[in-house]
Amino acid sequence: MNALRQHLVVSLKLYLRNKMALAYGYVFPILFLIAFWVLYRYERVPLVRHMGELLTVTVLGSSCFGLPTTLVSERERGVWRRYRLVPGSTVGLVCSTLVARYLSVLGAAVLQIALAVALGMPLPAHPFQLGIAFSVVTFAFLGLGLVIAMMADNVPAVQALGQTIFLPMLIIGGVAVQLSSLPDWALHISAFFPGRYAVQALQSCVNGPGLGSVGFSLVALIVIGAAALAASAGLFRWDTNERFLSRPGKAWVGVALVAWIAVGLAAEARGQIALLSWSRSADPSPSPAASARSPAPSAGPSAVEQPGSATVHTDAGAQQCPSAPPTWFQVTIDMIDADLVFDRGLPPDMGPVTPIGREGLEPRREVAGMLQELDIALRAWPPGKVEDPVQRVRNLMWAAGVPDIDEMEIEWWAPHVVFARVKEAVPQDQLVQILYWIVCHPYEGTTPTAQDLRALNLPGLPDDMIEAHNRVAIYSHKLLGRLLGRIR
Amino acid sequence: MVPAIAIRQLRKRYGAVEAVRDVSFHVEQGEIFGVLGPNGAGKTTTIECILGLREPDKGTIEVQGVDARAHPDEVKHRVGAALQSSALQDKITPREALTLFGSFYRRASSAVAMLERFGLSDKADVPFDSLSGGQRQRLALALAFVHQPDVVILDEPTAGLDATSRRALHDEIRRMKRDGRTVLLTTHYIEEAAQLCDRIAILDRGCVVATGRPSELIERSTASKSVSLVTTAPIDLAAVQTLPAVTDVVLEGNLVRFTTSDTGSSLFALMGLIRASRVQIVSLHVNTGTLEDVFLALTRAEPPK
Repeated sequence: MNALRQHLVVSLKLYLRNKMALAYGYVFPILFLIAFWVLYRYERVPLVRHMGELLTVTVLGSSCFGLPTTLVSERERGVWRRYRLVPGSTVGLVCSTLVARYLSVLGAAVLQIALAVALGMPLPAHPFQLGIAFSVVTFAFLGLGLVIAMMADNVPAVQALGQTIFLPMLIIGGVAVQLSSLPDWALHISAFFPGRYAVQALQSCVNGPGLGSVGFSLVALIVIGAAALAASAGLFRWDTNERFLSRPGKAWVGVALVAWIAVGLAAEARGQIALLSWSRSADPSPSPAASARSPAPSAGPSAVEQPGSATVHTDAGAQQCPSAPPTWFQVTIDMIDADLVFDRGLPPDMGPVTPIGREGLEPRREVAGMLQELDIALRAWPPGKVEDPVQRVRNLMWAAGVPDIDEMEIEWWAPHVVFARVKEAVPQDQLVQILYWIVCHPYEGTTPTAQDLRALNLPGLPDDMIEAHNRVAIYSHKLLGRLLGRIR
Repeated sequence: MVPAIAIRQLRKRYGAVEAVRDVSFHVEQGEIFGVLGPNGAGKTTTIECILGLREPDKGTIEVQGVDARAHPDEVKHRVGAALQSSALQDKITPREALTLFGSFYRRASSAVAMLERFGLSDKADVPFDSLSGGQRQRLALALAFVHQPDVVILDEPTAGLDATSRRALHDEIRRMKRDGRTVLLTTHYIEEAAQLCDRIAILDRGCVVATGRPSELIERSTASKSVSLVTTAPIDLAAVQTLPAVTDVVLEGNLVRFTTSDTGSSLFALMGLIRASRVQIVSLHVNTGTLEDVFLALTRAEPPK
């Protein structure tokens, strides 16, 4: 045990002395976090919807690149040949290497969470469970890292093999691009990648109901990690002169791959392909903030989640409107000019939050078809025809807000379709007043039901309802600017 | 007494190449034993089999009577080794490396003691990548010695070192012998083997072609000896040519040179000829050959440096 403790201590010291390792292990995750924070700065609660992705990227990078790079370079230098000259178990040495890597990536994760909290993210809803989820995710990915280390003959090969796992996982594996914005076929593919389960497990502990809702993900990660460890044990080699392709036992790689396939098939068989219910049906984040501003006459298809808490928070969509009158029809242009600005503070149209595709940006044929269907559906959509004009506009605006928050491909053009329907639904002089009212009172009224939204071929209610209200308010703000000629 | 190392009928094949073919030799306790051979002779493979780095296809290996294949961990406690092509991590310090590697053994010297013994005290906390070649080799030796092993195995320990570092390493190897350790080393420096080793084995193409003390090997060598004789007056060339076992006779004034395959009988007959010729000997040199001659004769390799 003393030897393994010494090995662990030396491994950690060497890690901390390696500038490149520190850059990849600590600086890059922080840069990722800052990038997400900047990209999604208009979200109501900074970063909370992305911590699962951020932590997964951190673990994935350290496991797919950091661990195998260290192991392969040590093997190339003959360090592992020297280890083989000493008495003791190979398993012990590999385990202490993994523990060192686990501790280093844990440090990076804690740093990320601390920085996110400093930037306004609330503490994770289930911190203890987050620790468990993080450990399981790290176990699975470190196993993959070991397999890469055993397959790669040299450090450049580590980069190549790591990228073949890292990039697909990022793009269609649910790690960097949210599952809700992937097409159906990609959802099926993502079920065969561990990244999806990692994000789900971690995110459920940050702002979801906890590990109870992601049992399948945890089992999937454990199976993938255990198979990878078994494969790496079968592939283990001390000596850099033993080339991967010329040595026996290559079939062990199949064990690791079979686990991925088995997990994907199990997900298909058990109906785990669709997004998790907690992430689609309700806002699992801490209680929504109150916005007890003056009520407006409203009637809608379902009862809104009335904000009941007195918790104060910052709303990207809500505006301070000191000039606001008691009712929407008393709104004047002077009030609008006094309370709202259009030339700064709004998310850019070409940004990730409340995007609006510029003129000339043509959708793919398939997307164009979806937009046409949306346009047709909106014309007959009951929530777009309710008697209360404010509620009518709010409801229609949800057809722009939902694609945006779910990062659907139609998000760039849906606002154009919606704006056109809104202009038809309400006379322009009233529409100006109503849009101002919505901007100033984003949480009033009712929300469409999931069924209403599905009637528009939208996936249902977003996971963060408060954020959805904010997006509706921001789109209202942008449309108001266009109607008044303040935004071109 | 049980030999420190006993190897019998060792075989190891890499694909179509038979790297080691029925190699057998033993190393006595307390001696310095050299394994000499040209590149590709099978020296490193033999050592790697002893150390458990390679699995032999056939044969037995015993270290102090312990079967190395059946009880590798026990052998590792008894053997210390410094290999070619095994460096350390760039940023590890000698102190950390000695502490780490010492911790794997039941008993080990302190890092401080090892640093002092191998002259690395002033480099104790310097990263490995800042050490010179000689300092790295001393550290490798210290790591091999950190658990005070009875048997030390050194694979090309002085390869690439300058003369000063090589001499210092020779002194350290002799010190190990004085301490009662057994040292097995491979080298392709014949001079080094001749100076350091009590006995040597010469390997060629995976086989042991000769084993013994350097002086015995030279004596047993089939290489012919050359004799140079200067007398006070010329002697009869034809008479010299009739001496037993003599060939290649050259007469240049008072100097006569010849080669002989049987030094004893040629010289005995030569003495009789000199007495009969009534001349006196000014000088007589018998070139008895070198280990390099033996090596070349046995291996037919390019002369090692």
